[in-house]
Amino acid sequence: MSLTAWIRRARTPEPVAVRREIAVFEPADLFDIEIKDNPETNPVLCCTGDPAGAAAFNALWLKRIATSGRYAAAVSVRGQGGTPAAEGGPDAKAHDVVQAAVTVPRQTVLIGHREGAAWAALAAGRYPAAGLVLVSPQRFPKQLPKPVGEPPVLLVVSESETQSKEVQAVSEEYGITPLTFAGAPDDVFKGANAEALLDTILSWLDAQKH
Amino acid sequence: MQEYSSQAAYDRGEAVCVIGAGASGLIAVKNLRENGFEVDCYERDTVLGGLWNPQNQHSPLYPNTHLVTSRSQTEIPDFPMPDDWPDYPSATQMLEYLTSYAKHFGLSEHVWYGSEISHLEPVEGSRFEVVVKPAAGAAARRLRYGAVIIATGHHWAPNLPSYPGLDDFRGTVLHSSQLKDASRLRGKHVLVIGGGNSGVDIACEAAVNAASCVHSVRRGTWHLPKYLGGEPADYALARLSSRPKLLRRFLTDRTLKGPKRLAERMGVEAPGHGPGDEEPVRNGRYLEHVGDGSIKRRGEVARFDGYDVAFADGTEIRPDLVVLATGYQPKIACVAPELLGGTRDAPAPRLFARMFSPKAQTLAVAGLVEPGVGVLPIVHWQTHAIARWLQIRKSDPERAESFKLQVNAESGHNAVEHVDPRRRLVVDAEEYLASLGRIIDTLEQEPAK
Ligand SMILES: Cc1cc2nc3c(=O)[nH]c(=O)nc-3n(C[C@H](O)[C@H](O)[C@H](O)COP(=O)(O)OP(=O)(O)OC[C@H]3O[C@@H](n4cnc5c(N)ncnc54)[C@H](O)[C@@H]3O)c2cc1C
Repeated sequence: MSLTAWIRRARTPEPVAVRREIAVFEPADLFDIEIKDNPETNPVLCCTGDPAGAAAFNALWLKRIATSGRYAAAVSVRGQGGTPAAEGGPDAKAHDVVQAAVTVPRQTVLIGHREGAAWAALAAGRYPAAGLVLVSPQRFPKQLPKPVGEPPVLLVVSESETQSKEVQAVSEEYGITPLTFAGAPDDVFKGANAEALLDTILSWLDAQKH
Repeated sequence: MQEYSSQAAYDRGEAVCVIGAGASGLIAVKNLRENGFEVDCYERDTVLGGLWNPQNQHSPLYPNTHLVTSRSQTEIPDFPMPDDWPDYPSATQMLEYLTSYAKHFGLSEHVWYGSEISHLEPVEGSRFEVVVKPAAGAAARRLRYGAVIIATGHHWAPNLPSYPGLDDFRGTVLHSSQLKDASRLRGKHVLVIGGGNSGVDIACEAAVNAASCVHSVRRGTWHLPKYLGGEPADYALARLSSRPKLLRRFLTDRTLKGPKRLAERMGVEAPGHGPGDEEPVRNGRYLEHVGDGSIKRRGEVARFDGYDVAFADGTEIRPDLVVLATGYQPKIACVAPELLGGTRDAPAPRLFARMFSPKAQTLAVAGLVEPGVGVLPIVHWQTHAIARWLQIRKSDPERAESFKLQVNAESGHNAVEHVDPRRRLVVDAEEYLASLGRIIDTLEQEPAK
């Protein structure tokens, strides 16, 4: 974040505070003595444009991420799932993501799906995410902040999206080539395709220095 | 340094040494690590958080210390405080915040506690050798670093005024940093000396706890309430700063008119300059206590006499307890004053852009400013700039040159030395931030080669 961007934000009214729903799954919650929270790894915080919010990640994602030894969390931004609605556009939702991120015990990776990818990208402009994973991004902001602390960025899209303007713009913006997954962009929360997608993300994360 | 040369220094290569694990030191460690540096941070105490940690020996916290700057203006730019915290968090919350910052970014593993740096000096060109003060019986440890950032704070050496008769005074005299517990005020006749934020806060504590409270103040100060127009005062004033200059002045004057009139009614003169020119007093309760008589204001103390205290106006009182809220002397003892631009006779540092040593390229100080606004964001941008500078210093000689010119020019903005030593660290936040912005731009304009 640039100093000017910070000054502007510090002088703009803060979004109304809401009590946010945050779902957490820690490796210890698995009751599997083989799997330990590895302090060398970064936690993961997920958000999605799906109105279910954090709950969308309960079926498969959180548990599977925890199984890989990482602290796993998901947040419902204002108006999603168990988080009350409140005023505010993408910036307020990015605020919700940052506020959730700072409650995670260690520097966290942000994973955003659909509109959630846009919020995660905005959040990464204010908070030094340990990594930024964008899954089938949608309604991406035109003015994208440079991610703070230069985290590694992964873009994963469904095969059907690779040619879309939006995806090309995002991949150009970050200077990265998207990876693809099989299946529909809105159907990533359970099933064999979802598992494959998650494995792609987790092995990418493991390949980063954290 | 003969006495240290018995043992070879341990060479830490290009690693950076940060001295102090208060807010400034922690922010420095985080930003240096983010920029790829290895960091060793030395903290003489056994805890982190610096002055916000009551377990730190000599902590200057007094009963019920709260922030005088509001949450949104105080939090570190890339690690906000929880937004369900109050507008003005307590000292306890501030410590909780710094602790979670340290934990979040894994900073503690880079901190060596119980390790005071007693001395540092330049060796082989741009490198530094630091000496860790030995624990009883052990030998001093010496280490070499690629660069050093001093973040030792400036609230550790109480500034103790001398008055005739003070030494023989029969009541109790404490410096504000020694008043740990409001119960010490209970039932006492209390005299508080000093009109800064600490003095005013403590006078308010005495107003509700003590049998009586007299507050001795030498000169006028700006008094701001904690809220203006329904918003935290610093936020409200900062918002005006983005307006064009004349409009800004007009709006600021209009916003401050009410508080100024109230202060005048209570006998508090605002000094000629604006509230940005020195640390203003921010306290919403004080003037009300003056208004209901629970704080009685007096001028300067002339002398102490047995059980009595006489003021310059000839009046006398007989306090049980005198609290000296007379501030601190900024002191950086671990380095020769010359390295920070001072002299033996006038040791106060004269730094480039308030942070870079004018003598050594790899020596900087973080947090040695009183900006009248939240200090942590300023330190964040300072250490961001320092980290970037250390990065490009070697990798990009061309940019390093333009940086040096830039920093030299920026220092002109702050060249006006405040005659009053108490205002030496004061910067105009607006100007200083703009200056930091220009410095960072010079360092980052296009990607480093
Ligand atoms: C009563 C009070 C109220 C304040 N209120 C506010 C406020 O509301 N808002 C605001 O923004 N600021 C406020 N401040 C200003 C405060 O200075 C900053 O907020 C900030 O805490 C400064 O942090 P620091 O790390 O620079 O210094 P410190 O917190 O003083 O930390 C310095 C650290 O360095 C260590 N150290 C010193 N010398 C050595 C050595 N030789 N070797 C190793 N370690 C060493 C010390 O033990 C300490 O831990 C207040 C200050 C005081 C005194």
